[in-house]
Amino acid sequence: MPRERILKGIAVSQGIAQGKVFIYETKHIEVFQTPILSVYLKDETERLDRAIKKTEHELRNIQKRLNYEIGENFAQFLDAQVMMLSDKTIIQKVKARIVDNKLNAEYVYHEVIKEYAEKLGATKDTYLKERVADIWDVGSRVLRNLLGLTHSSVVEVPAGSIIVAHDISPSEAALINPKSVLGIATEAGGRTSHTAITARALEIPAVLGIKGLIGRIGNGEQVILDGDRGIMIKNPSAGRIHFYEIAKKKVIELKKALSPFCELPAKTKDGRHIDISANIEFFSEYTHAKKYGAEGVGLFRTEFLYLTRHGSPTEEEQYHVYNALAKKMKPSPVIIRTYDLGGDKVFSDYQEANPYLGWRAIRVCLDDLDFFKMQLRAILRASVNKNVKIMFPMISNYEEIKRINLIFEKTKSELRAKKIDFDEEIQFGIMVETPSAALLSPHLAHQVDFFSIGSNDLTQYTLAVDRGNEKIGQLFDHFHPAVLQLIKQIIDAGHQAHIWVGLCGELAADPLAIPLLIGMGIDELSMNPGSIPRAKMVVRAITIPECEEIAKGALRFRTPLEIKRYLRRSIQRKFHGIDEVIK
Amino acid sequence: MIKKPIEILNENGLHALPASRFVRLAEKFKSDVTLEKEDIEVSGKSIMGILTLACEKGSIVILTCEGKDEKDAFKTLRKILEGHD
Repeated sequence: MPRERILKGIAVSQGIAQGKVFIYETKHIEVFQTPILSVYLKDETERLDRAIKKTEHELRNIQKRLNYEIGENFAQFLDAQVMMLSDKTIIQKVKARIVDNKLNAEYVYHEVIKEYAEKLGATKDTYLKERVADIWDVGSRVLRNLLGLTHSSVVEVPAGSIIVAHDISPSEAALINPKSVLGIATEAGGRTSHTAITARALEIPAVLGIKGLIGRIGNGEQVILDGDRGIMIKNPSAGRIHFYEIAKKKVIELKKALSPFCELPAKTKDGRHIDISANIEFFSEYTHAKKYGAEGVGLFRTEFLYLTRHGSPTEEEQYHVYNALAKKMKPSPVIIRTYDLGGDKVFSDYQEANPYLGWRAIRVCLDDLDFFKMQLRAILRASVNKNVKIMFPMISNYEEIKRINLIFEKTKSELRAKKIDFDEEIQFGIMVETPSAALLSPHLAHQVDFFSIGSNDLTQYTLAVDRGNEKIGQLFDHFHPAVLQLIKQIIDAGHQAHIWVGLCGELAADPLAIPLLIGMGIDELSMNPGSIPRAKMVVRAITIPECEEIAKGALRFRTPLEIKRYLRRSIQRKFHGIDEVIK
Repeated sequence: MIKKPIEILNENGLHALPASRFVRLAEKFKSDVTLEKEDIEVSGKSIMGILTLACEKGSIVILTCEGKDEKDAFKTLRKILEGHD
């Protein structure tokens, strides 16, 4: 029995998959130069026409199969690809060269495409640089058709497969069928790549960025893909298989038990309603938010608009996304957070020694007002739907809020001057995620309409722990008493100023934390859509006075361990029917 | 023949959707349409050509329309370049 091996990558889409490897190869196409006799030149140009026609047919077919909810952005690329394909100037150039140089179609076509790709690749513009991939995507289709090569397409993946590839082109990623594909593993890509977005939208486990994946895995091999831990297990041992089978079974059972809660309101046993909202990164995820019963989007992370296209989206592009999301979620609220760039969401061409303590989020925006105002305008314009709220990340001092407010008001009056409509009553909130903002929250509360506690960053900054650092990651614990004390102070400060307070970090989805946070008075909990049914189950099993008692008791402990033990015991004693989820 | 320099005022430059819109409209006219920037001339009916010009907002291009419907063509296409169509 060959030894078990664990291949590490980046976890981009949750879940566990066990299946047969299907290697999706995009073979390098080799093109040779062949002289063509004059009498056959006409055949050669006709061959080109046929290949182009066939390619157009293929692209139109993709367009038909495309899942528009997922591939909205991609549909635009596809249109552009069809246009590139049928570009008359290029076709004429290729034909002229075939005839003049008496050479074969594939050689000449390849040459011409390469010239254009190189020209585009040489520009400084990142948007244009990305179009190079589109040109090659189309170009290779034509070349394969000229050479009579068959396509390896993800459409043909047999049921029960885990796709293993170097990379998956956007036009292929849009064709992945979640009924037959159990998981995706690639060498290239990261959290913001097209494949990652597609995998999350389809809820297929995916691990990307596995170095040296191809060559270590064979077609048809049985593997386990763990999209929670970001690993792929080759030759899994009997023990490992057993472990994952149990884990998978539990997940399925729990999902089944939780599914009725999607539809139910998040009301405590004694009738208090708690807002349960969804954190989302991409427009297409609104379908998950709805499916799992979110009562709104508590956090729309806009930086992914920036990251997926490696540059700033225009006002129109942003408006299009914000407006579409607001429309889909109506009348439920949508909280749009301005760019939280920097930190782990880095710019490709900028590095600094201490990114989490550096040029990040609101600090970046306040340094480039044109860039910032473009986003503010787009959000304001989308606010005509009356359900949009705006939120600013990484506030660490009072002056920042004053400045943002001035800029925001100025942007509003500029829109008014241009007679552009927006919601005059749009709520203006901030993320409280630095210890300084937490401690200043009594002052900050008078300047805003709501607080949203970012518990992940608040924990990291309060404890001075980078959770990504393997050596100290175990020190990261959002049940740390120092963090919980700050959270309590923030909630109290907000309520004293009569504003509502939400929480949008991972803590919001933790069944152990929910009774505690509700006992502290939290008004809204925003989390990954998949966690919502479980949170509702917890909310529906508890009562306010008992939660308040739990919260009061929790703040007397000294360590995260003591707090967790206390919470587990008191929840088990006071509430029933949720033992399974608080283990 | 109508030939005039035009400043690209379209927020996106002539990159993404405006480029395809430009080509789609240009194809509707019988006139020949060309765009010229920094001595490089491309057909206004070729998306790949236009993309390689890398027209950012604020750059100057020379738009030429020549043919029976050149007046209409120029008027329509100019609007896209100037970003108010």
